[in-house]
Amino acid sequence: MMKKILSLFAIFMIGCAENQTQQVVNIYSQRHYDVDQIQYDNFEKSTGIKVNVIKSNADELIQRMENEGDNSPADLFITVDVGKLWQASNMGLLQKYQDESLTDGITESLLDKNGFWIPVTYRSRILVHSNERVQKGELSTYEDLANDKWKGRLLVRSSSNSYNQALLSSLVANLGDEATKSWTKAVVSNFARDPKGNDRDQVKAIASGQGDVAIVNSYYIGLLLSSENEEEINAGKSVSIFFPNQGEGQRGSHINVSGIALAKNSPNKSNALKLIRYLTTDEAQETYVNNTYEYSVKPNIEPNKIVSDWGSFNKDTLDLNMLGIKRNAAIRIFDSAGWK
Amino acid sequence: MNVKSLTSLISLVLVFPLIYLVYSVIGLNLDNFIYLWNNLLLDYSLNTLYLVFLTVFFSLILGIIPAWFISTTKFKGKNFFDIVLFLPLSIPSYIIAFTYSDILSYTGPIQSYFRNFLPDLYTYVNLDYLQIEILAFLMALVLYPYLYTACRISFSLLGSNYINIAKNLGMSQFQTFFKIIIPISRVSIFSGLFLIVMEVLNEYGAVKYFGVNTFTSGIFRSWYSMEDINTASILAVCLLITVSIFFILERYSSSKFKYNYKPNDTTSGNYSTNKFSRVLIYLLCLFPFILGFLIPVTFIINNVFKTINNIDFNELINLSFNSFFLASTSSIIIVLIALFFQFIKKISRSKTLFFLSEIVSLTYAMPGAVIALSLILLLSFLSKIFGISIIFGSVVILVYAYVMRYMAVGISPLRSSFEKHPYSFDDTGKNLGMSNFNLFKKIHLPVNNTSIYIAFILCFVDIIKELPITLILRPFNFDTLAVKTYEYAIEEMIAKSSIYSLIIILLGSVLLIFLRKIINKSIDVS
Repeated sequence: MMKKILSLFAIFMIGCAENQTQQVVNIYSQRHYDVDQIQYDNFEKSTGIKVNVIKSNADELIQRMENEGDNSPADLFITVDVGKLWQASNMGLLQKYQDESLTDGITESLLDKNGFWIPVTYRSRILVHSNERVQKGELSTYEDLANDKWKGRLLVRSSSNSYNQALLSSLVANLGDEATKSWTKAVVSNFARDPKGNDRDQVKAIASGQGDVAIVNSYYIGLLLSSENEEEINAGKSVSIFFPNQGEGQRGSHINVSGIALAKNSPNKSNALKLIRYLTTDEAQETYVNNTYEYSVKPNIEPNKIVSDWGSFNKDTLDLNMLGIKRNAAIRIFDSAGWK
Repeated sequence: MNVKSLTSLISLVLVFPLIYLVYSVIGLNLDNFIYLWNNLLLDYSLNTLYLVFLTVFFSLILGIIPAWFISTTKFKGKNFFDIVLFLPLSIPSYIIAFTYSDILSYTGPIQSYFRNFLPDLYTYVNLDYLQIEILAFLMALVLYPYLYTACRISFSLLGSNYINIAKNLGMSQFQTFFKIIIPISRVSIFSGLFLIVMEVLNEYGAVKYFGVNTFTSGIFRSWYSMEDINTASILAVCLLITVSIFFILERYSSSKFKYNYKPNDTTSGNYSTNKFSRVLIYLLCLFPFILGFLIPVTFIINNVFKTINNIDFNELINLSFNSFFLASTSSIIIVLIALFFQFIKKISRSKTLFFLSEIVSLTYAMPGAVIALSLILLLSFLSKIFGISIIFGSVVILVYAYVMRYMAVGISPLRSSFEKHPYSFDDTGKNLGMSNFNLFKKIHLPVNNTSIYIAFILCFVDIIKELPITLILRPFNFDTLAVKTYEYAIEEMIAKSSIYSLIIILLGSVLLIFLRKIINKSIDVS
């Protein structure tokens, strides 16, 4: 206890609890899953480099980095939404990784064409539907959700959620402003209820009969199915996953990347690069897919069994930076359509 | 340095980040603000008003009525109720929101039970519970203790003298309550309500989950969605100004009603009860406790048992220590400052000091994230000007932010206590040739003793629940119980978050039980 008090006192006095001689890498991360800590612990064990982490909301971390300026201790910035990585790079808070070997074995379409960030995992924002009230053939594309047949049947969370913002940004990039605007209006008029709750709540709302189709991230279904609560497993089983836009000539399902980037003034750059390299090793990728039900960025790593049972799907190959570039347009479309 | 400049300096340090925030928005591009104004702000403001109104309404019912009966009526089990009615305050509002929506959800115990055992009745419970009215009620369930505490003290202190007079005048308990006790307890009721309203205004996690857009949602829409920190600051400043106007109006009008009333000098517990009223009283007192504490805590404990094999106890001890350390350090600092302010205000009777000591309470209306943002902006400005490097993530800055944010919680009980004691105390003391220090030590410290403890405990309980400031300003590898609870809850893993919320609630509850003891000792009710 005394040691603890002393170390806290030290933090108090110098503001950061670092032993100057030890090798460290400092991360500002939006990811706060248990699996991340496992990865950092493994990295620390194999390299002896201590991983320091601050976890918070991406925009808050961006503010902190920006205002810390040259003094920022951040080496790496990690987000669960590629739009925020684009934003950070756009604000001049990142530097290019400049080492092509870091991206070896990673799926080409997931990479940043500007060379700022490296994808670590990806997730798909897809549709789930009631097994009872929706037939497989009824669903087809995101665009089709604007169809009148879905009136009073769609469920989705609020437009302040960054996964929804990324999805709409992808529509703006693919379809253009006007088409997305009318799509959004029509979708809002098809809502079963006002947007609320989280992704799991949308699935539960299907199970309870409040709506028939929901837009959610795929891994939440994985979490429901692996729950310790029998009722949650049943709720997960009462719906099926549908990957939209898979037909001939269609662009594929919307995906978003959880990625990592070097901070502009990274004080421990070589350690930071080592960590990036580590997180994309086969070993680390296996750890991700089996803990969070996300997809690996390397084609040779199979998804977790629960996830692979849903089948494979074609990904939208849109330049992922568009999810950041079109963000502001997407927000305004949400607002004008009344998507709360 | 004389006391006046010291007071000014402290209040300046406490509000300076916000002043800088106001200053920084001058001359900013208003495009996004105008856009929000045209599209969303009216809707957001109306939602906010409605939510505030409902939460205040529910809190009044949940808080004042039990306080009145417990302070003035004899009935069995009174002590028990007096302890447990404080406890809901230990539950953070985002936890009660998540917990209840889990309990009420499709996969929760109630709906599951009906589905499996009473399928005919299932349609009656299969509802969408994420509604603004339910949100307001849930928030009132954990916020009413602010009102209860304030009223409990006020009712007991002035209890029997006024009640006996009212009785002699032939007034009923009902009439006495509305015509005498409520007007005379105005200051206390408002100080409790003030905290409740501020809490509702700065709430973000629970309102977002319930799909309710308040003014604070507008701040975060600009910041997180439109990625426009400037507009977020402008909105925060608007909120601050609005709250200030109401606050000043309230203070002004209540200063016109100065009651230098005579505190209680006989034991209270005046009213006796018949069978019917006893049942009613039990129901009114049990209701807030069962819904605000017993049910959610039972649910949380049940979740803890489900996940007990995965708990990392070393980490748990670490987090508890961090939370405890931060909360106690900040609370002590807050109480010292609040005490100093109230004392100086009392002895100097200066209008400026009165104003300064009030203005530092306003930071409470700001969402924690805005306080943190204002500090970040200020620190980066200072480090540029003085060319020094300031490390944002340090415990010192964290404590600074907490003190800024929770000053109002410390000031509120101390203010009502200081205002209750007549100036004649000071005059007598001065006539006896006491120095200011002696006046403080021998008169103000003892007579305000209770509210000092109350202030400390309320701050502690609040800070241990704190989330956004900690998230933004913490040092590397530094977690608290609230942070851990939130990280799991936001990833939709309520069960896993439960052990951390349970410790927050337990720590808070222990202190709140202690609080009740202190209050009762001082008001001499048993």
